[in-house]
Amino acid sequence: MLFNSLQFAVFLPVFCLLYFSMPGRTRTALLLVASCVFYMAFIPAYILILFVTILIDYFAGIYIERSDGSRKKWLLWMSIIATCLVLFVFKYFYFVTGNFVAAANFFGWQISEPTLNIILPIGLSFHTFQSLSYVVEVYRGHQKAERNFITYATYVMFFPQLVAGPIERPQNLLHQFYEQHPFDYDRITSGLKRMAWGFFKKLVIADRLALYVNDVYGTPHNHTGLQLTLATFFFAYQIYCDFSGYSDIAIGSARILGFKLMENFRSPYHSLSVGEFWQRWHISLSTWFRDYVYVPLGGSRRGLPRWAIAIFVTFAISGLWHGAAWTFVIWGILNAVYLIGGRATKPWRDRFFGLVGLHDTMLPRKVIMVTTTFALTCVAWILFRAQSMSDAWYIFTHLGTGWNLRQIGTEQFLMRQMPAAFLGILILELGQLWQARGSVPEWLSRLPMPVRWTAYAGFVLAVMMLGIYRNEQFIYFQF
Amino acid sequence: MSQSDKNSFSSSVIVEPSEIRSQTSERSARKPRRFPIGIGVARILAFFLLIAALTLLTDRIINTGLRSVQTSTYGVLNRIVSGQANADIVISGSSRAWVHYDPREISSATGMSVFNIGQNGTQSDIQLAMLKTYLKHNRKPKLIIHNLDLYSLQTSKEVYEVARYIPYLKEQPLYETLQKVYPHASRWKALPLYGHLVEDARFNWLIGLKAFVGMQPREDHIEGFVPRHLHWTGDFEKFKEQNPEGVRFEMTSEGTKCIEEIAEICRSEGVPLLFAYSPEYKPMQEIEVNRREIFDQFRDIAARYDVPLWDFSDSPVCLDRDLFYNSQHLNHQGASQFSRELALRLAAGIREKIIKTGM
Repeated sequence: MLFNSLQFAVFLPVFCLLYFSMPGRTRTALLLVASCVFYMAFIPAYILILFVTILIDYFAGIYIERSDGSRKKWLLWMSIIATCLVLFVFKYFYFVTGNFVAAANFFGWQISEPTLNIILPIGLSFHTFQSLSYVVEVYRGHQKAERNFITYATYVMFFPQLVAGPIERPQNLLHQFYEQHPFDYDRITSGLKRMAWGFFKKLVIADRLALYVNDVYGTPHNHTGLQLTLATFFFAYQIYCDFSGYSDIAIGSARILGFKLMENFRSPYHSLSVGEFWQRWHISLSTWFRDYVYVPLGGSRRGLPRWAIAIFVTFAISGLWHGAAWTFVIWGILNAVYLIGGRATKPWRDRFFGLVGLHDTMLPRKVIMVTTTFALTCVAWILFRAQSMSDAWYIFTHLGTGWNLRQIGTEQFLMRQMPAAFLGILILELGQLWQARGSVPEWLSRLPMPVRWTAYAGFVLAVMMLGIYRNEQFIYFQF
Repeated sequence: MSQSDKNSFSSSVIVEPSEIRSQTSERSARKPRRFPIGIGVARILAFFLLIAALTLLTDRIINTGLRSVQTSTYGVLNRIVSGQANADIVISGSSRAWVHYDPREISSATGMSVFNIGQNGTQSDIQLAMLKTYLKHNRKPKLIIHNLDLYSLQTSKEVYEVARYIPYLKEQPLYETLQKVYPHASRWKALPLYGHLVEDARFNWLIGLKAFVGMQPREDHIEGFVPRHLHWTGDFEKFKEQNPEGVRFEMTSEGTKCIEEIAEICRSEGVPLLFAYSPEYKPMQEIEVNRREIFDQFRDIAARYDVPLWDFSDSPVCLDRDLFYNSQHLNHQGASQFSRELALRLAAGIREKIIKTGM
């Protein structure tokens, strides 16, 4: 079920009504049923795949806790391999076989690709990573194995964050299923406000920009350099608003039910460096990779070359996690190159800024750094969004060519939509700056009730009126 | 895990003061109030009722505004549904009717009033619904010219530019047809704002809001006709290259029934009908694989209902690329030239043959 669908607009209030009218002990079971209904709205049969991984990791957790020594390690690896195998079959089978066949054909062996008609179940990568974090945390002794199957299944299927995160650690979420979540007006309205902000990002900004981006990136050869540049800029905001909008709605709906999910974004385009960008972007995934890939690879404890290798491998895997295509792998590698290059060139950059008299705290220096980071991120997004490596290369090489100010609009995105697109981005940025300097909800809460309600109702109506409703899936659903 | 590891990677677990503030501010904004469940639920319901009321009000304002538009596409539709078209000659059909038949030329040659109800992006089913709506509200015309094209034997697979129909969903023939094409059309009628917002990404509702306060959109129609001041786009050359084997157009029994129903309605209403096939760029005609089959079907229907069929496929207009902007559509110059040709033929006594009596 999509958050931006009529189904969800009916589902959530009905579910909340049931949830708050039921006694505490039955609520987890109700949440599990609701999560199943939510997931089955996509392709019902695929819930069986989730149940396979749930069964594997539920029992793995219990047996890992009971075991020790090499048996414990063996159980952990068996569980990781089994869980990843499911992901491999559904997500990477064609990628691996396609590359194998291409390589074989290159060497003169004529073999054809197998056809299995596999469709990737929505959110499988998120589900897999949350399951993996559970078994690893149990293995490390940071989390007790969950004995109650319903509670465990609800933890990995909790509908607000089931299909696109945040990827929650068991230490943060699992215990919340044992807590009481009484009806709390302030908490519920706070959740609703967070959802409204998420819908603004998704419907007003992301889905409108998607009209432009889809047109241009769908047929890059038919568009000018200006259109390619603008589409790349728009995509940066589209993907941010799409994904952080989803996270806001997830966090907001979980808050309504009494659950606290982790923050997933902190104004990433305000970062001063690519390193900082990754501290602010998709935080639940970044920390997952840090804890379960980067640190086990040695992190920064074993010298600079080993650190560079750890960063390189981590980001290459991160790219592959995002999609089974070379464009994603190279996107990941490019980010690793940014980080390694950023660290290597830091002394020179500091010296340069010192020579021109721009110190750390000076605004011009910050503006230069934020702009540079954003530009580098946009260059990487080209790989992320392009449909193939050849398209990406075409876009890279044509960004600066054939700029024609009279040819900016596209078939789906007329010039008259341009002000709405830029206004949306402006409101987003101003909102984020305002939030960074103080809390917007806090300021609103000081207003008299009639003014406050008028502001809230006006905002909701504006989101409704300016939104795009084409049931566009959230971009990260495909991962 | 060492602190250096955290710092050297993406140490997002290091929570900065601003983050703490942003994460907790929404909860700590005010001193928590403990509303009893009843009052809390009532307040939430009251807010959503306010939203519902605003939605309903906005929907009414937009629809009232759109129904008051006197110019552009909405102006044409408003004249049709308010019975203010009342023309002697009515032109019906798709975008080809819409941009090919210039009422000024036809009027000046025949001395009759002309109104064009051609609809962009429609097939025979919606064209039929539009004709029924016209006949329901307006004086019976003396002649209906229904323009045919290669899509005439098809029905709609989707509704193009849905927003233009939303204010007129109370028109039964139109609503029933739209619902057949798009079963969710009932939502456009039942849910306030749904049609305007969900189906339209182009802010057409703004036209309604502006019209509500008296601001009319720019007039681009002349008695329903739109002169296209465009040059040849070059799309045809690409199309031809992509279809080296030629192109086949779908023929369906539903589409045929719609054309038959148009003839049937005109017969039962006693309104003379003329089928016309307006000019089409000649090189395009040559790559239409089943053109003969389609025309056989047109002729068969015309013969069965005793309706004349005027085919302008051999008009000199078809040979001049400068009169078209794509293979199917004439620009304003082409439309003028074709409309004159048609009007002269109408005026030159052939009219007597078509309009046996009562005109």
